[in-house]
Amino acid sequence: MSTPSTEADADVHRVSNSFVGDVWTNFKRWNLKAVRNPFVLVVSLVQPIIFLLLFTEVFGQIAGGAINRGGGAGISYETYLVPAIAIQVSLAAAITSGIGLVNDIEEGMFEKILATPMNRTAVFVGKTAAEVLRIVVQVGIILGLGVLLGAEIATGLIGAVGIMLVGLLFSLWFIALSNAAAVITKDQESTIIAANLLQFPLLFLSSAFLPLDALPEWIQTFARFNPVTYGVDAARALMLDQDVMTVVEVTQFSGIWNTLVPAIVVLAVLDLVLGAVAVFLLTRATSSDVK
Amino acid sequence: MNTHDNTNPAADDAGEPRYAIDAQNVQLTYSDGTRAVNGVDIQIPEGEFFGFLGPNGAGKTTTIKTLVTLLSPTSGEITVNGFDVRTDPRAVRESVGYMAQETSVDSELTARENIRFACEAYGVPRSARGDRIDELLDLVDLAGVSDKQAEEFSGGMKKRLDAAMALVHQPPLVFLDEPTTGLDPKARNRLWEYFQRINDQGTTIFLTTQYLEEADQLCDRLSVILDGEIVATGPPADLKRRVGGEILDVDLEDGKDASDRAAAVVRETDIFNSEAMVEVTEDGISVTSENARERGTDLLVALRDEGLTVTGFNIRAPTLDDVFLAITGDEMDDDQAVTGDEAATAAEVEQ
Repeated sequence: MSTPSTEADADVHRVSNSFVGDVWTNFKRWNLKAVRNPFVLVVSLVQPIIFLLLFTEVFGQIAGGAINRGGGAGISYETYLVPAIAIQVSLAAAITSGIGLVNDIEEGMFEKILATPMNRTAVFVGKTAAEVLRIVVQVGIILGLGVLLGAEIATGLIGAVGIMLVGLLFSLWFIALSNAAAVITKDQESTIIAANLLQFPLLFLSSAFLPLDALPEWIQTFARFNPVTYGVDAARALMLDQDVMTVVEVTQFSGIWNTLVPAIVVLAVLDLVLGAVAVFLLTRATSSDVK
Repeated sequence: MNTHDNTNPAADDAGEPRYAIDAQNVQLTYSDGTRAVNGVDIQIPEGEFFGFLGPNGAGKTTTIKTLVTLLSPTSGEITVNGFDVRTDPRAVRESVGYMAQETSVDSELTARENIRFACEAYGVPRSARGDRIDELLDLVDLAGVSDKQAEEFSGGMKKRLDAAMALVHQPPLVFLDEPTTGLDPKARNRLWEYFQRINDQGTTIFLTTQYLEEADQLCDRLSVILDGEIVATGPPADLKRRVGGEILDVDLEDGKDASDRAAAVVRETDIFNSEAMVEVTEDGISVTSENARERGTDLLVALRDEGLTVTGFNIRAPTLDDVFLAITGDEMDDDQAVTGDEAATAAEVEQ
């Protein structure tokens, strides 16, 4: 039998890895990659911005009628649309999370990292933290742009921060989903296609662009089960300072909390469930198919 | 030849040999039923430059991944640097460097950032990082391009960066999985120098390769793996000696028929000594013999007398393929060993 070499004579100059340290190491790496590759950052912003500009110009007049049908105060379509675009940004940015993972698998970095003493959970927490930071920044950019275009955030700066946090909470389930797609397909194109295929139906079959009561019955039914509805409603409640949720009627709280509480509960549960699925798939991928 | 005296490896105070790797009866079966590794024993004394040879699909990479804890063995006992891979994988990961077969660097990061990431991942203390990074950039000759993104690098430069990332924490044991596959000879030679250098500094190296030349040049000792089993172990010179001489390849006109007749000539005449082996190849025949060089001309004459047309011939030293052939040939019956069965075995080995 061999005798273990002691630390001293093995001449290893190292300090022990800590969970926080490992998170930080990976957080830095992914931020650095994002900065190195501003293209991804810009592209995931461009499409939502185009939506924002086109929709307000093309549908602004007609949509305005539908929005204000209840006879409430005149809400501009810009104001109505910005929360939806904020959620669209989270959705688009979350897709890139899975793409990053596929890249790492293809480049061999995934395996290289598994062979290091870093804590594997910390590795993914660090990566996700970097992506979430990027999403919060992008939602902030959309809000700023919206305000420039004439949108009003009724709840002010605190509401703006709230919308960014809603964007964060909303993005996590889609980050989990895109990572799951990445682990299953292990292929960049498939991951992009799968994620994009989901993106548009999810957006249009929700309360994002028009009030649900202006939409056909079947869309209203679908929207009830569509996470985008909950994300958009929460962001919109903060934007308008109103209880805007129609898919679930909650009245126990006051004002916007009747929208925020159910939306946050639904999104948090969804995040946890899909997060668990992604963690399960990632764990399986890291332990390989050995008997 | 830097042949290591493996009967007297580094010993601890108790006088027992100390092994960087001690693996006993390792088996690994994938969940689809493929048995990739089947009862492998490996003992590598500290400081050795060990070569692990075998054709594609023989189980080299599976074995290495098991040793670096990326795969868990189905059965068997493995300690690496004294740590059990099953119960203490983290201690194993802390104490080894691993360079995978596929080049793995982050192409969006610069050379320096890649190495810094590896330093952080392997717990190189903050105060030592700067110096360590510069030292490694020098070692692999990338100091001049340290702030360029890795995507601008050639294959050889990426490999060197990859190698540097495996060495950040000065591990006493480094695994190199086919580090030079796909590189041009110049880049390959340069990498060999680096590996030799870190081995000279006392690092144990576990290298897998398909090239006998590479193993010959670098390794103190080799094991050959075939279909998940180790079929030979020893210093490179010993393994080549098992081939039993040099090889004379003769190309003939008129295909298989002519080749069979030529093989018969070799067997029925006493041009070569009795140890000689002949096999029918794609283009003609191949004769392995101690006196292939001296008696080759006699064979050519005999073939012409037989009415066969020789279109080319070549005398060469044994290659890895020949070593495999010799090893698998040893396991066969004597009368089988000189027939076409062997060519079939060689063909299987090559795929």
